[in-house]
Amino acid sequence: MHAIPQLLASTILLGGIYALIAVGLTLIFGVMRIVNFAHGEFLMLGMYLAFWAFTLLGLDPYVTLVLGLPVIFGGGWLSYRLVMRPVIHASHNVQVFTTVGLSIALQALALVLWSADSQFVRTSYYAVVVRFGGVAVNLAQLAAFAVAVLFTAALFVFMRWSYTGKVMRATAQDRHAAALMGIDTGRVFALTWAVGITCVGVAGVVLAPIYPVYPSIGLQFVLIAYVAVVLGGLGDMVGALIASLVVAFVEVVGSYVIGTAWKEVLYLLLFIAILVIRPAGLFGQRGAEVIGT
Amino acid sequence: MSLLSVAGITKRFGGVTANRDISFDVAPGELVGIIGPNGSGKSTLFEIISGFYRPDAGEVRLDGGPLTGLSPDRVCRLGVARTFQKLRPFAGLTVVDNVMVGALTRTHDVRHARARARDLLDRVGLAEKADVHARTLSTGQRKRLELARALATEPRVLLLDEVTGGVDQRSIPGLVQLVRDLHRGGLTLLVIEHNMRVITAVAQRIVALYLGEKIADGTPDVVTRDRRVVDAYLGQAYTQ
Amino acid sequence: MRGTWPAVAFFAAAALGPIVVRDAFFLDGLILILLWGASAAAWNVAGGYAGQVSLGHAAFFGLGAYSAALLGTRWGVSPWIGLVVGAVLATAFGFVLGFLSNRLRGPYFVLATIAFSQVLLIVASRWRGFTSGSEGIPVPFRAGFWTLGIADKRVWVYLVLVLAVLLYLVQLYLERSRRGYQLAAVREDEDAALSLGVPARRLKVAAIAASAALTAACGTLWAQYVGFVDPYYVFSVDLSIRFCLAAILGGIGTPLGPFLGAALITMLETSLRARFGGIGAGLVGIYLIIYGVVLIVMVRFAPHGLVPWIGDRLRWRPRLGPTA
Repeated sequence: MHAIPQLLASTILLGGIYALIAVGLTLIFGVMRIVNFAHGEFLMLGMYLAFWAFTLLGLDPYVTLVLGLPVIFGGGWLSYRLVMRPVIHASHNVQVFTTVGLSIALQALALVLWSADSQFVRTSYYAVVVRFGGVAVNLAQLAAFAVAVLFTAALFVFMRWSYTGKVMRATAQDRHAAALMGIDTGRVFALTWAVGITCVGVAGVVLAPIYPVYPSIGLQFVLIAYVAVVLGGLGDMVGALIASLVVAFVEVVGSYVIGTAWKEVLYLLLFIAILVIRPAGLFGQRGAEVIGT
Repeated sequence: MSLLSVAGITKRFGGVTANRDISFDVAPGELVGIIGPNGSGKSTLFEIISGFYRPDAGEVRLDGGPLTGLSPDRVCRLGVARTFQKLRPFAGLTVVDNVMVGALTRTHDVRHARARARDLLDRVGLAEKADVHARTLSTGQRKRLELARALATEPRVLLLDEVTGGVDQRSIPGLVQLVRDLHRGGLTLLVIEHNMRVITAVAQRIVALYLGEKIADGTPDVVTRDRRVVDAYLGQAYTQ
Repeated sequence: MRGTWPAVAFFAAAALGPIVVRDAFFLDGLILILLWGASAAAWNVAGGYAGQVSLGHAAFFGLGAYSAALLGTRWGVSPWIGLVVGAVLATAFGFVLGFLSNRLRGPYFVLATIAFSQVLLIVASRWRGFTSGSEGIPVPFRAGFWTLGIADKRVWVYLVLVLAVLLYLVQLYLERSRRGYQLAAVREDEDAALSLGVPARRLKVAAIAASAALTAACGTLWAQYVGFVDPYYVFSVDLSIRFCLAAILGGIGTPLGPFLGAALITMLETSLRARFGGIGAGLVGIYLIIYGVVLIVMVRFAPHGLVPWIGDRLRWRPRLGPTA
């Protein structure tokens, strides 16, 4: 019985992190109609950034976050210019293979440069546990959650109220009409991509103190993000948020009930179930997944 | 004694009623034209007849047998073929391969299908383009290809969605003659067309749609003088 | 590539290989080229010819590998029967995937295929009681043809050659038959194909199911040859990508393409291994980087495949047919 508050707390903390990852993925799809198969690799790169800053420069990940933000954003922008821009108008299959290729290349790069060994960011406070109301949470997790919420909220505010955000939403709705109205869609795409990558890169930095860092860690997180994004409706940011909580809930309760070894099967089966029953997700437009664009 | 009959067809998309209680018959060997301003529901009607949409109410019958709600490929095999307003050639295939796809619905023999395809290309005037890639064709040529492809399925009823749309002036008479020849050969045709000169010249009957409803059904003479048609679509200058 | 003479040359060369060369290293390479080529060709049935790109074909490969390995180690059943069982299971899964392919387009379908193979990976790697979990299953060597316990690599070459030629012929059929034309139409424009009477939905399901069964057969033979089934390898996304990479490299939607692509990849890996000596994480990384970059560059500049691209540069003839 008293497991419930703990489960709830874990769900919210985990959900917040997943939300930051998912929101970037859904933003990229919403505006650019591209499913970024390399999203997990940018998470991994964010984690390595935190690791190396910590190991070589002694910087706490949260300091790295602030200092490294332009680096992450720049990395996003660069990857757009080099890899994605040429295929922005290409067929779905070409785009799929492009991001898959990027995913392979980035993962392999990490493997070659830093080996497959798991690395750890052991900050001085990584084992500190905060207790309140019968619930115990890891401080690093709490801090990561706080950052995730902050960033996600900032993104929402940006999308809702800023001019650029409106331009991005307009492009998401109808890129041809947007172009006809004088919007530089090329710039919008570059910005969207960079923002999406920044979100997941930031998530990586704050996750570094919590999870082991190794080249293929991106896959497990990005699968979860896909589940959340599809459940919430591709392109729907609020949907991604809510769905992230749902997925976190399934994972937390699932691990509690049947153990951590099988929890991944749970959300994968959830994913397949969604695709079979209602691929548009909870909030997506029905039929969007069949038409494709 | 109708070959194709449409009865009480209604189709809604969210808050918009694209087709409201549309009914008419097409007799064997008839050429019926469908006119109306954009948004009047002409294409939706075609999508329903050819099986791409399911109507919310009403029936489509072919020679008395039900056609409503059948899948598009079933509809084609039963004898209703169509062309698309926004042309859809199989760009990565050659012209003759395109037509063969249609022919292979009626025959299992690839060589036989190829021969039939070449015949049809000859008939529509694309014989010398048979072995080029479909994507290199001009709009007028693509129209002919689309026609040949649909004809390859040996339809009893052919739905033509915009024969002359997007085609240059010089090519129109050729296309019109093609349609006439098909009709004279005994084919039953249902034709959506914006060009009034063309449709009044070839059609035996015209059905006029406006805002999803049928507002007129009769010979070209009668329909073009119909008050409602004039107000909704043609404008006063046309009848003067 | 018009005409079948390049394929005849390719398979004839493969058949002559064991007669001319005795080196085990060479024969091993030849066997792997034919096996990966066959697997890529099986993928090509769904991905190239039916246009249903899947990044989860390892699911079927693994099913084939595990079926034979499990039936062999637990109940002493011949791997040939295991092959059939694996193919049947894979076909069943293939039907499910086929059903999904009619409900989902583009990236949604790709995600579903990945999820599929991941589920199988987790089940296989955790189910200690049945599949020995993450340790994998060593495939026992029992000498004899019925148990596929064949020590002589030359025999393996011919065995795999039969599979490879079979897959080549299947693809050739897809190119020239009535069903092939219909599939090409579905691939180009499904709605237009439907309007011409092509039963698009059924064809897609059939193509995926066939592709699944064939991939499973490749998995079975591979497991028997290599002698060990590791869930993290046999169900991995990396393996799935390997199949489509080979097909794309060699010419997606062409019958010989997957074999040429597989040859290129295998030769690259072998030469890298020889140069850098031994298998290390860094080595794996190098050719993966190459694959990733090649994939990105290729789908942009040579979507029909590298080999056709080169062919076109030499012949200056524009290319028709399926692209990535």
